[in-house]
Amino acid sequence: MASKTAQDVSSEPRGFELLLAYVGEPLVLAFLELRGIAQTAALTVAYAIRGQRRREETWSQALRIGNHSLLFVAAVAASLGTTLVYQAGLQAQRILGDLTLLGPLYLQLLLREFGPTITALMLATRVGTGISAEIGSMVVTEQVDALRMSGVHPVEYLIVPRFWASTVMMLCLVCFSVLVSWVAGMLTAQLAFGVSPLTFAKLTFIIPGDVVLMLLKSLVYGMTIPIVAGASGLAAHGGSEGVGWATTQSVVNCSLIILFEDFLLSGFGYLFLLR
Amino acid sequence: MAIESAKPSEEEKSWSMGVADATLGALGRRTLSSFGVFWAILHMSWEILIRFFPPRIDGAELMRNLYNVGVRSFSIIVVTALFVGAIMVIQAGIYVEQYGATGLLGWGAGFATVRELSPIMIALMFNGRVGAKNTAELGTMKVTEQVDALRALAIDPISYLIMPRFVAMVSMMTLLVVLGDATALLGGAATSQFLLGVDHLVFFRSFVELIHVSDLMLGVYKATTFGVAMGIISCHYGYAVSGGAVGVGRAVNDSVVSSAIAIFVLNYLVTYIIT
Amino acid sequence: MSEAELIVRCEGVSKRFRRAWVLEDVELRLERGSMLGLIGPGGCGKSLLVKMICGLVRPDRGRIWVNGQELGGLGERQMQALRAQIGMVFQNYALFDFLDVGENIALPLRVEGLLPPKEIEQRVAEILDLVALPGIERKMPHELSGGMKKRVSFARAVVRRPPLVIYDDPTAGLDPVTSAKIYRLLARMKEEGTSSITISHDLDGIRPLCERWLLLDGGRKLFEGDLAALEACSLPRVREFWHGD
Repeated sequence: MASKTAQDVSSEPRGFELLLAYVGEPLVLAFLELRGIAQTAALTVAYAIRGQRRREETWSQALRIGNHSLLFVAAVAASLGTTLVYQAGLQAQRILGDLTLLGPLYLQLLLREFGPTITALMLATRVGTGISAEIGSMVVTEQVDALRMSGVHPVEYLIVPRFWASTVMMLCLVCFSVLVSWVAGMLTAQLAFGVSPLTFAKLTFIIPGDVVLMLLKSLVYGMTIPIVAGASGLAAHGGSEGVGWATTQSVVNCSLIILFEDFLLSGFGYLFLLR
Repeated sequence: MAIESAKPSEEEKSWSMGVADATLGALGRRTLSSFGVFWAILHMSWEILIRFFPPRIDGAELMRNLYNVGVRSFSIIVVTALFVGAIMVIQAGIYVEQYGATGLLGWGAGFATVRELSPIMIALMFNGRVGAKNTAELGTMKVTEQVDALRALAIDPISYLIMPRFVAMVSMMTLLVVLGDATALLGGAATSQFLLGVDHLVFFRSFVELIHVSDLMLGVYKATTFGVAMGIISCHYGYAVSGGAVGVGRAVNDSVVSSAIAIFVLNYLVTYIIT
Repeated sequence: MSEAELIVRCEGVSKRFRRAWVLEDVELRLERGSMLGLIGPGGCGKSLLVKMICGLVRPDRGRIWVNGQELGGLGERQMQALRAQIGMVFQNYALFDFLDVGENIALPLRVEGLLPPKEIEQRVAEILDLVALPGIERKMPHELSGGMKKRVSFARAVVRRPPLVIYDDPTAGLDPVTSAKIYRLLARMKEEGTSSITISHDLDGIRPLCERWLLLDGGRKLFEGDLAALEACSLPRVREFWHGD
């Protein structure tokens, strides 16, 4: 459709056709984008299951994705935790006048929603841009073509190690981030409202479904980021502009897809896990 | 960051020395290099600030940037906000169902959305879409010597390139959050009607009755602050690029990561100061 | 000339980008053991054509045979087997910047998995001797000069001893002394019976090496034939490109 409309522009477009073009072109582009991501996802999973294992490469990717994100994730988790507890505490004081439920409910929301999703969005920013910039610059310098000429499939060689590393490290980082947010929230509750850590740290509300949902979300996000970022990187073309384009595309695509998955998984949790 | 990336081999070595040493080493390096970055960002803020008295902005560039920043991010922000509203209604819905307090659904979901999540999520998307693109564009201009060419023509690159981008980012970020709040409300209402079975009028009523204008304004203030931070940070990293296509990729990565940290820290500060 | 003597054959190859045809109805025939000079102004589709021959880009129309096998119906796995018979020297070296020189050259052999590691090492050393860069296995690509990178890229392309080698502008941006070294390598490969396609702007440099010439202009074939015919050709665009008038 994109090509058809462009032709029409050169030969006197009519109002209705122009309208179609405005509506249609973004849809077609989004469809093509999604198809590229789906293809990469299928290839990644196929190679991850039966391709060769590259232990060392996976290990060093895990180090880069996991350990080098610790400080970043901790900073974000701590400031988010503090803010959330502070705001929730103010409201609870105003409306309920009772702060004993603050800790348990906060931990529950952290497990169900904020822990996995915020961590994943942060990693989409930090790791996703890294992966797409790296693969994108390999594409524009023809290194990816050279890989294929050497008989290596770029998805197997470049994306699969990052896929395993990111899937495993995401689980660890989410647990870490939940822990940091929880401790930060505990300190805030103590300092701002005088809620003792013992009251705050009650686990009464937590059900197995909460933990299952958290792990499920982390697993899905961890698999999403390298696939989407890798697909954007492989779609790069042109010089340094191409790399910039791929990086931008990767953050936006990763974040949108994570939000969409969050919506689906939260709905799934609401219907099946948390009753 | 520059110091850290210049010595990858040392980092590999430090891994074998043990986790504690590695973490301390990374911490030290980061502290040192982040001082440099912090200073450079302050300098960039000053450069921008003095150009407001009197305003020295290129008019045509400003219009072009306002259009690019605002219109290009529109669809992404709308989609993001719809999901944010929907997800928050699902999360709040679990509690509302437990206690049978459907009248509080609009308040519970709306409060968290307009004060916290809508500004943060929209800022993160904006960071990926506009901030990253901004850094990539400025960086490409820098490495292809276009910035030097401007100087040679006796045009101040900061008034011509950076001021329009900065003003466009701040104003559009503020407006997009207003738009995002409204869209999130729609997404929330649809979810409450179709997934939770709570009538959308009940949802709207509790939102209108229990959410104050000050709650909405807090979100807007946050948005403006985030816009200022992202504008300065993305322009700084773009303007400081060196080293070809690889340098551009790295700058984009650093820019989105720093902006994300700034968003969360500022979120905490603004919440604390205003409430 | 029978079909079996051809190592590459293209028929009506076309490629479209967006709406514009960037390559239209290109024909190419390359005999075993000979060298084809692929020339033309910048952006005329030379690099695209050779990427299609390697199976890196699929044509929208037309058919390509390499070593008697048609590329059209091949799956990714068969295509990889076929690519093992083609070596490619990329325009901007395309050395893997995360691997050292030795690993760069060894990668095609390691992937193939036919040789034990010891023998691969030996082959890498031999091939580095051939390109007159002995003992640089442990250097990283960014430590090398342009001419050295080109020769390492050459070494990686020919390490599997493929019957067909493609050189994408092998002397771009090199000084005359280094260029001469590269041409000696090209001549040597030819003596050993390798067929090749060479893209170049240095017409004088490849003139003694190529038996056949293909001149592309704006995605179309302008001329195909031997040197004498090219020099005698009366088409104005051909004369303009070849003689510079």
